[in-house]
Amino acid sequence: MVATRLPRVGVVKLASCDGCQLTLLDLEDELIAIGQRFDLVEFPEATSRRSMGPYDVLLVEGSVSTPEQAEQIVDLRARTKLLVTIGACATAGGIQALRNWSDEPEWRASVYPRPEEIESLATSTPVAEHVTVDAELRGCPIDPHQLLELLTALRVGRRPQLPDEAVCAECKRLGRICVLVAGGTACLGPVTQVGCGALCPAYLRGCYACFGPRDAANTISLAGWLGQDRTAVEVDRLFAGFTGYAPAFREASRRAVEVMQPPARRRRSKGKTT
Amino acid sequence: MVTAAGTAFLPRARLDALLDLLREGGRTVIGPTVRDGMVVLDEIATVADLPVGWRDVQAPGRYRLSDGHGDRVFDIVNGQMSWKQFIFPPRQKVGEMNRSAADGSVSFQPSAPDPSRLAFIGVRACELAALGIHDRVLAGGTFVDEDYRARRDAALVVAVQCTRSASGCFCTSMGTGPEVRSGHDLVLTELDDGFVVNAGSSAGERLLARLPGRLATPGEEASVSAAVAATRAAIGDPVATNGLRDRLMDQLDSPRWAQVADRCLACTNCTMVCPTCFCTSTSIGSDLDGTVNVTERVWDSCFNPGFAKVAGGDFRPRREDRYRQWLTHKFATWVDQFGTSGCVGCGRCVTWCPVGIDVREELAAIAPPALPVERPFIRPAAATPGRFEITTLRASHPETADTATLTLVPSEPALLAGLPGQFVMVDLPGFPAFPISVSRYATDHLLLTVRGAGPATAALLNTPIGGQIGLRGPLGTGWPVDRALGRDVVIVAGGIGLAPLRPVVDTLLAEQGRFGKILLAYGARTPADRLFTSELPAWAERGMEVLQIVDRSGPGWAGHVGVVTNLLDQRDLGSRPTIAFICGPERMMQATSSVLRDAGVSRERLFVSLERHMQCGIGLCGHCQMGPFFVCRDGPVFALTELGDLFTREGI
Amino acid sequence: MHTGTPQDGDLHFEVGQLTRVEGEGSLDLRVAADGTVAAQLRIFEAPRYFERLVVGRTPDEVIDIVARICGICPVAYQMSAVHAFEHLLEVEIDPAVRLLRRLLYCGEWIESHALHIFLLHAPDFLGYPSALEMAHDHLELVSRGLTMKKLGNRIVAIVGARAIHPLSVRVGGFSRAPRAQELDELRSPLETAITDAEATVKWAASLDTPPSDREPRLVSLRHPGEYPMSDGRIVSSDGIDLSPDDWRSAFHEVQVPWSHALQASAADGVPYLLGPTARVALAADQLHPRAAAALKATRISPEALRRNVFHSIVARAVELLHALAEAADIVASYAPPARPAASWKPKAGVAAWATEAPRGLLFHRYTLDSKGIVRGAQIVPPTSQNQAAIEHDLALFAPAVLHLPHDEATRRMEQLIRSYDPCISCATHFLQLKIEHDR
Repeated sequence: MVATRLPRVGVVKLASCDGCQLTLLDLEDELIAIGQRFDLVEFPEATSRRSMGPYDVLLVEGSVSTPEQAEQIVDLRARTKLLVTIGACATAGGIQALRNWSDEPEWRASVYPRPEEIESLATSTPVAEHVTVDAELRGCPIDPHQLLELLTALRVGRRPQLPDEAVCAECKRLGRICVLVAGGTACLGPVTQVGCGALCPAYLRGCYACFGPRDAANTISLAGWLGQDRTAVEVDRLFAGFTGYAPAFREASRRAVEVMQPPARRRRSKGKTT
Repeated sequence: MVTAAGTAFLPRARLDALLDLLREGGRTVIGPTVRDGMVVLDEIATVADLPVGWRDVQAPGRYRLSDGHGDRVFDIVNGQMSWKQFIFPPRQKVGEMNRSAADGSVSFQPSAPDPSRLAFIGVRACELAALGIHDRVLAGGTFVDEDYRARRDAALVVAVQCTRSASGCFCTSMGTGPEVRSGHDLVLTELDDGFVVNAGSSAGERLLARLPGRLATPGEEASVSAAVAATRAAIGDPVATNGLRDRLMDQLDSPRWAQVADRCLACTNCTMVCPTCFCTSTSIGSDLDGTVNVTERVWDSCFNPGFAKVAGGDFRPRREDRYRQWLTHKFATWVDQFGTSGCVGCGRCVTWCPVGIDVREELAAIAPPALPVERPFIRPAAATPGRFEITTLRASHPETADTATLTLVPSEPALLAGLPGQFVMVDLPGFPAFPISVSRYATDHLLLTVRGAGPATAALLNTPIGGQIGLRGPLGTGWPVDRALGRDVVIVAGGIGLAPLRPVVDTLLAEQGRFGKILLAYGARTPADRLFTSELPAWAERGMEVLQIVDRSGPGWAGHVGVVTNLLDQRDLGSRPTIAFICGPERMMQATSSVLRDAGVSRERLFVSLERHMQCGIGLCGHCQMGPFFVCRDGPVFALTELGDLFTREGI
Repeated sequence: MHTGTPQDGDLHFEVGQLTRVEGEGSLDLRVAADGTVAAQLRIFEAPRYFERLVVGRTPDEVIDIVARICGICPVAYQMSAVHAFEHLLEVEIDPAVRLLRRLLYCGEWIESHALHIFLLHAPDFLGYPSALEMAHDHLELVSRGLTMKKLGNRIVAIVGARAIHPLSVRVGGFSRAPRAQELDELRSPLETAITDAEATVKWAASLDTPPSDREPRLVSLRHPGEYPMSDGRIVSSDGIDLSPDDWRSAFHEVQVPWSHALQASAADGVPYLLGPTARVALAADQLHPRAAAALKATRISPEALRRNVFHSIVARAVELLHALAEAADIVASYAPPARPAASWKPKAGVAAWATEAPRGLLFHRYTLDSKGIVRGAQIVPPTSQNQAAIEHDLALFAPAVLHLPHDEATRRMEQLIRSYDPCISCATHFLQLKIEHDR
């Protein structure tokens, strides 16, 4: 990349746990080199430098969950050349998106005695439902190698190598034995996008879809197969996870939430459900 | 001690002696071992590491292990892993392509083949056949995977004849087992008290001579035959393979493809566990500055999205296209490519499919046994070898808004000895390699006409004058100009398709007396999209008939408007022997060939140049396959007769 | 945005968004002409309703979900949850599993403390906007911190599969326990890191601190046999001593008129302090010998350590050293459990537990039905418990810096807030507090 100045990079956060931003700080071996090649003008977790933009690259973590965030993301988009969403919250709405099928005011009332003082949207939605997104890194959290590949690709000028294949492909390359076929464990790997390095099967549990559904994932076929040994409700719950709001998982996820959290028959008069 | 020529018997308690012999000379013994309740192939240090007393039960989509079945060592038939993991590793560094930060110079350091020496113990007959198939695919052609060959040559193979079978097995139908016939150094058959051992090579004979034990008795040899025969009987003959290749290729339109695609997850498991699948991709790991770029070869799969994609689109967009590609390649077109079926009947794809799709069922449903049909088939001559060369950019000449012709000067002359129609693979540090046709050969340089279609081609076009670019080539088949001697030549080009045809024009014009009349019909989207506009009139002046046409007119254009086939309608090209070379978008080539056939040009004399997704350019990564062909190696130039109806079929 | 324009005799310091803290918060401090100080630490994390998200889920699903409350301390949430469930379900875990959990928690403490000391807090002491600028002049220091942080992450990744949101913790143990050889790669880096951590304690003790003096109530866990991490009774410096089952008898959450959510406080209203300062003070006798020795060598008295809020960096460095030393001991003696996890049966009831997150005591309470499904949850993170103490200290500290140039005074107050290593994403509740302080 021939440049007279370093690219101006911002890292911002909506509703999330901070884990995806932390992944950048977790590139310990490369962090100083990254700081010398990218101008981190806005990254509140790590630096007191502030900037309102414009940004060459903006990494956005978190889902849109409050009215203020809905405005903020539109404003940020206008001041950004390349907007990259990072993590399941920003790309799929996150685990908190499971409230999207519930009665959000009822949820709010169950946690806060005076819910009217809390500002929150009824839904938690991915950034792409509000503005155009130029690239995304999936995961909960994102994978540090994929983040490094994105930054490297930006410098070199190539398309970042972010394969859209099933977790199974990487699982097999790494020689892990299939927990679904050999263990009977429910695993969403065949319909989930690769990126984490097939970690769950390495630790003998099933994939729970941190990276969300891959393009044209055949969830109906997998759900049908898993349903041979499980009830329909149990199969639906598998999809009601950290990327449950993604379109391929949405319907099963919605049915699961309805079973787990049936709408209240009458409003609770006080406080919390503890 | 046993004499080398005999059949030996190794008592169960002395199996460790075999392991010790295998380990001599620093070898690592690899065999089945149980870990976390699952069987993997890994280092075997002692007999206790082997799966003594374990058995597997397999069904489509289901695999279960249990122990406590006595003291047999080799009762597990197979597991998920195959020996491919070790001789053709999932991730293999190919080389480094580095660009000096100081002066921009480029260097390429290929990786040396792996020197580690392995001994495999527990190789089944089907797996031996798979190793043989990989030998043909990866080491039997003009281009050899050196790393594969080094690992293969260095590995000792101790086979095991199956005394149990799994429900997915069909080696009997594929002609690969359960008897072990060849490809092994030693073969064991397990009986109650021990192992009957035979040698299959001179290395095996030397090992056999040093094993403790005695000659096997006739009774023991009979037990071996009986045990293997019993395995054969248990498996039966699940797949009718007689004429399978042709039956399958006759059913490319079967509705069953869509039905199986509804179940298929395109998860790649079948191809990953298959011991013969070999398709790969390259992956590049760069440092933050793009100065050090490590290229790795990585197992890929024809089921993955993007496997068959080029800038213009995806040749296999639907899951059913990809399932059809896999099944027809494995059981049909593999025969055309390599002389045998690609399947060895190990049954892994059946067991390890997460939704239990069974290829045996699918084959029976799609291509039920019928009478075989003979079909003639022509293959072009092999390509010339392509080595990596560094070239320097001497000049760049814009042709259109997004296309330029680059003048590249190689340091070695091999690149300049190519044929019209051949291509080079362009290697830029930090980018996947991509193919570009040579648009002219000269005494000390060659010309590449490049359209900036993506980041890699854009980077090529942005190379500064004096910059260095890596090329491999020339590759592929060229236009058969020798078949045009004494004939009229019709050259039909669409858009950038004129670039691979220009060297043909150069050759024809250089020795014009040896050919008949030459016609160039050139179509482009707009006048501004035409290439070589300063040369076209010069060609016309030298006696070629040059006809041009554009889809849409532009300022100052007074010529024809329409599609290029308009230029050929109504012409009589059949009264004199005529040969045609066509290059352009695929639809344009299809329409043109149709028009030319109607105009009287015979199919054996109609040649097209095809484009497919190429990663390696030398027929080893599997991406550019089209039916039985590797476009990079058997093409890109094909005669219409070779292609048959593949040319006009979607999703191939 | 910093403004210092006096209005009607008021000085108004406003930091629009606090940086180098985890999560999102802002500081509003009003000083009236008569010297009274009002401090507002506003935290505006959008609510994600975790206490409602876990309703209807199984205990193993809850363990996966609560990790996502915080990206820096997911292990703390998983540990509080899993121990709470095992306590109710009467699951006996294998001693090797207990050691592995302790190793996992050490890994998180190491990563979190190194992150805070070197990347978030050191720039305040040395006068830089971030560790990246600091690295130009103090490369060795920043590199040392990054190396230790990486080691902490590596420990978590070996036991839990990845550094952020581990995935192997299950009720009864782990989905897979590492083989002994998998821990071998940690031995040598741990030895180096322990030496580096000793140097870090010395360095932290040498830093100039602004003046600070207060006598906080300290609260932490206390265990008879080990430095408090995942098990123990809740104790304070002034006599509180109870089991986590009885947390509600001494602490509670209330919604106050000015607060957007629930504020955790002691029943008697006195603010209390959690975290490294509290633990080092209340469990000094259980520090690893190398950590105790390093602390002693600083010559900072226990009284000074707890009374000067800025000495939290020293307490944190001591704990970093402790966690490294304890991790090294565990790695040296580890043998895998016979089974990675014990089996369990569902049971109805209430499950309550507290563990020590890097930032302080983290309390979980779950109600389960007879099928073992969660019907209700209460999760109280350390930072929402530290709120009152932070604002109390801000109010006390502010007058001492008001005479400084505005930017400098604001920086000092940010430095004070950062001394608490506030973890704001955790705040499943966010707070807005005013304190009126009469002089």
